[in-house]
Parts: sequence; C-alpha cells; structure tokens
Amino acid sequence: MSDEKKDSLQHINIKVVAPDQSEVFFKIKRTTPLSKLMNAYCERQGKQRSSVRFMFDGARVEDHATPEQLEMEDGDAIDVMVEQVGGFWAVN
Amino acid sequence: MSSICLARLAEERKLWRKDHPYGFWARPTKNPDNSLNLMVWEVGIPGKQGTLWESGVFKLRMLFPEDYPQKPPKCQFTPPLFHPNVYPSGTVCLSIVNEDQDWKPAITVKQILLGIQELLDNPNPNSPAQSDAYVLFKRDRAAYDERIRRQTAAHRAAE
Repeated sequence: MSDEKKDSLQHINIKVVAPDQSEVFFKIKRTTPLSKLMNAYCERQGKQRSSVRFMFDGARVEDHATPEQLEMEDGDAIDVMVEQVGGFWAVN
Repeated sequence: MSSICLARLAEERKLWRKDHPYGFWARPTKNPDNSLNLMVWEVGIPGKQGTLWESGVFKLRMLFPEDYPQKPPKCQFTPPLFHPNVYPSGTVCLSIVNEDQDWKPAITVKQILLGIQELLDNPNPNSPAQSDAYVLFKRDRAAYDERIRRQTAAHRAAE
C-alpha cells in the first residue's frame, strides 16, 4: 500500500464552520480525541475554549470523542457556536 | 423499497454532510440493529437571527415515502409547533412540500429546510393549518409575538 493511501485511511479532513460561514480545515487522525482539534481552533481564532461549543450532527462534540467514534467521514463539517450565558449570546 | 428512493436519499445525506447551512442538522435515524434508516430523518432548524425565533432550535422529523422523490417527504415538528401553518399533529403546511402544489423531485433536503426556516417568521395567513395560532396571529399580534417568544425560549439549543 502506498504511503498516500495509508495516510488517507488514517486521517480525515474536517472543516469547522463559524457563524459568519468562515471555514477552517483540519486534518486529523481518526483515532485522535477531538479536543485536539477544538483547542487548536480556539488558539488559532483567539477564542476561549469555554466560550464556544462544537456541534456535529446536532450533538455537542465531547473532548474525548474521536472521529471514529462519531462515524465522521472525510470532508465532514463541524459547526462552532458561541456559548450562551444567561439567555444572552456571550461576547468574546 | 425502490432503489431510486434509497439512492437519492444516500446522495442527499452525502451532500448534506459536506455542506449544510450553519446551525442546521439532518441525519437519518437508526434501526434497532444500528443500521441507517434513510426513510426517516431527524432534523434541527435554527430560528433566523433578528426574528422572534432567534436562538431557538426546532426539531422536526422528515418521513420519506417509498415513491420519493416523485412525492415529497412529510415534515413534522416534534413536539408540534405553535405556528399558523403547522397542523396540530406538527406537520408543516408549505407549498414546496405539497405534491399538489410546488413540489418538484429536484428540490433538495437543504432547500426544504431553508424553506421551513423562512416560514417560521413569515406565516401565510391565507392557508391556516391550526386555529389557535391562526386566530391569535389575526386578532392580537402582540399576544402572538409574546407566545412565539416564550416558545422560542423553551426551544433554546439544548445543552
């Protein structure tokens, strides 16, 4: 098996979509906890991890969940949402 | 079960996974044996920003008939919604999902759900489907708005 083929089996590309429709792409191993992706996203966007939540297929993405567990496929999209506090949208 | 129907539904799901409107979700349900049931989907529609529906997420079931896409899916809010164009059963009354009106096999799941989102804040009083919401909408707009506000608060995105 070629290295490229092996790589595509182990890794998938996931995009994170923000409320303003901007997209950030990540390449992640199927067995890596998604906390890694979520932390990297927050770091890159200058957001506090606690100020946002990540939703996949209508459910919050837990830190320990992996793409494999969530049955993610290459090219799938995760929505990032601003955490809501006390009935208002929190300002970052 | 028709293979045309299942092939189309598998394609719709694939398209949706790659590209869906922000804040929406739409996924086929699972059978008891954990296989996908493409004929019944669970859906979440966010209320539009800047409307009384903002920050609510409204859950809906899409039931696809065996002759889909010849015939449209039935779209049913669960629980039923207080809205002039939603039947007491929760079923949405909208021309683009009515086979006798504007349904066309080319209409995608994405278009249907965007259409329903649009309908939330733009009810059509000429085609009422439930009397409670219709009567209040016609008679007392302030009370109607207040009722919608309370309903939205009860549908805040679940934690």
